[in-house]
Amino acid sequence: MSASMETTHYTVRATPEAQDAGAVALAVASLPESFGPAVGNNQPHVQVIAGQPGWTTHAVEAISAGARGLVVVNPAAENTELLQAAAQQRGTVVVLDQRWASNPAIPAAEDAVRSMAGRAAVLDSVATAPVGTDSSELLADHLAAVVRVTGPLTGLRVLTRGPHGYTTTAVLANGAPVALQGVLSNARPAGVYVTLLTDDGGVSVKLPEPLAAWPANVRVTGPQGELLLPTIYESAHRATWRRLKEHLDAGTSPSDLHSFAALSETITALT
Amino acid sequence: MSSHIDAVPTLGVGILGAGPVTQAIHLPSLARLGDILTVRHIMDVDPSVAESVAARVGATHSTSIDALLGDASVDIVAICSPHQFHAAQVIAACRAGKKAVLCEKPFAMNAEEAAQISAVSEETGVPIIVGAMHTFDPGWLAASENWGELPENVHTIRSSIVLPPNARFEDFATEIITRPAGGAPDYSDPEVIKGALRGGIMGLAIHDLPLIRRFTPDFKDIEVLEARHVRPFGYVISLRTPTRTIELRAAMNNTWKPEWSFEAISDDAALRIDFTPSYVQAGSAVATFTRGNETTVHGPFEHNGYEGEWRELAALATGAKQPPSAQTLIDDLTFALDIADATVANLEIQQAHQAVAEGAHA
Repeated sequence: MSASMETTHYTVRATPEAQDAGAVALAVASLPESFGPAVGNNQPHVQVIAGQPGWTTHAVEAISAGARGLVVVNPAAENTELLQAAAQQRGTVVVLDQRWASNPAIPAAEDAVRSMAGRAAVLDSVATAPVGTDSSELLADHLAAVVRVTGPLTGLRVLTRGPHGYTTTAVLANGAPVALQGVLSNARPAGVYVTLLTDDGGVSVKLPEPLAAWPANVRVTGPQGELLLPTIYESAHRATWRRLKEHLDAGTSPSDLHSFAALSETITALT
Repeated sequence: MSSHIDAVPTLGVGILGAGPVTQAIHLPSLARLGDILTVRHIMDVDPSVAESVAARVGATHSTSIDALLGDASVDIVAICSPHQFHAAQVIAACRAGKKAVLCEKPFAMNAEEAAQISAVSEETGVPIIVGAMHTFDPGWLAASENWGELPENVHTIRSSIVLPPNARFEDFATEIITRPAGGAPDYSDPEVIKGALRGGIMGLAIHDLPLIRRFTPDFKDIEVLEARHVRPFGYVISLRTPTRTIELRAAMNNTWKPEWSFEAISDDAALRIDFTPSYVQAGSAVATFTRGNETTVHGPFEHNGYEGEWRELAALATGAKQPPSAQTLIDDLTFALDIADATVANLEIQQAHQAVAEGAHA
């Protein structure tokens, strides 16, 4: 006779928009011991919403309705003050499923970049998205990913913006120039490249779309050679759900909304 | 019966200036082309350098341009002297009745000089090419044969250059006998920054500006949105024309890992060319086209753009090929000069704003 392992199982319901944008069915199916679809009209443990403008209102409503966990897929820049207060009051875990910033390679990339940032000479980043993408949305996704690895940027401003993308400029804390370019094209897979150069090496980060479990590529270059950090074949969506599970089980609060508030402020100031 | 076979005579090469570029780039390239080209004369203002470098290839040496141009065994002249001498020396080489002239970039320091050169070239019929080596790289040429309508449809262009100091690759290519003394610039001096950026454009970016111009039909309307210096030597320059966004990046640091790429992107197709570093004989660039889920790769080929230049010169000297139009060379030069001037102007505006901001805080 074997002892059964007890795990908490959370039920999930997603709005149709969130289902599509967040590939929720696949993410939930890939964590079957932790999550499963809510049945009938039962109140789900976890509500998933899309991050279209006005999403914070829907998020507060979901919390009021009793959600223990909330996943927001690709949140648009918005004031999150009321939402943060509601989540704190009800102890609701709110996680953001961001296109690139939620990639599971980000923490290691962040360590690599920040350990070299003091010696940075330049940071260059290019985000690519299909033709027809709203360039403001692309910039928001792009910035979210970049500031996750670099920390806050100063002097951020848009140099040019048009139907084919944008060019923005900023500086790192040590004064090194930062250049962020957005390109709208169907020629290449969507994704983000970030390259930090120092006096003798640097870090390059390539983040894929969360449509599939393509691994990010993070390389650290120094005088001794180049190190490819371990590849993680997990999409940003699934990584978000794993984080949610950890916080739900532990009863802890993620810092997603807090970090997003600063990002939102930056993006709003740009537009 | 004789076993003697008449060898086809090779074309004689004379080189003005025997510094690191001649030693590490041109002589190794010419060594691979011994069946068509022979170095016959090396000139340098330093007699010991001229003698030593000439001895490596069994050539005559001198310290005067007149001696080299008067050497009847020299058919093709390569001008590898400091920038400020280029125009006068190109004109002198044309007037000396040589068969072809290679001038290291930039071939003039202003549009007037360029027009003078063009007039002399036309008058004498001597073909001139400028040492923008990437335009002779087989990877670039393969791309040009396959890019279809991409140059007309591109909206975004990027040039990224990351290089270690030249000495790293010079030492892989040859045994250098002289190097210019390096200094430690004072980057707190705005004039030094301006000089560094102008030098970055006319000395480094200029390698790829003809490529960028090829994809920028409205190149005459170029505008610098922002130019910034990258320490110790490099730049981040954002440019725009009415139809193109152009980004130039360069960093010369102490890395071992070079990158030299050119990208041109339209709505549905993109070209990326990865060039090999200068100096080393590491073959050609690789050109990669992507069109959605389809990728096509051209290269690598066995030789690089420097060797391509010399093959082109030999073809021009024998009349097997026609030279590029003088207008192309002038447009390439004025494009680079326009960007350099606009970059310096942009820096002056930034510096003025900074001074005002500092005054406001004083």
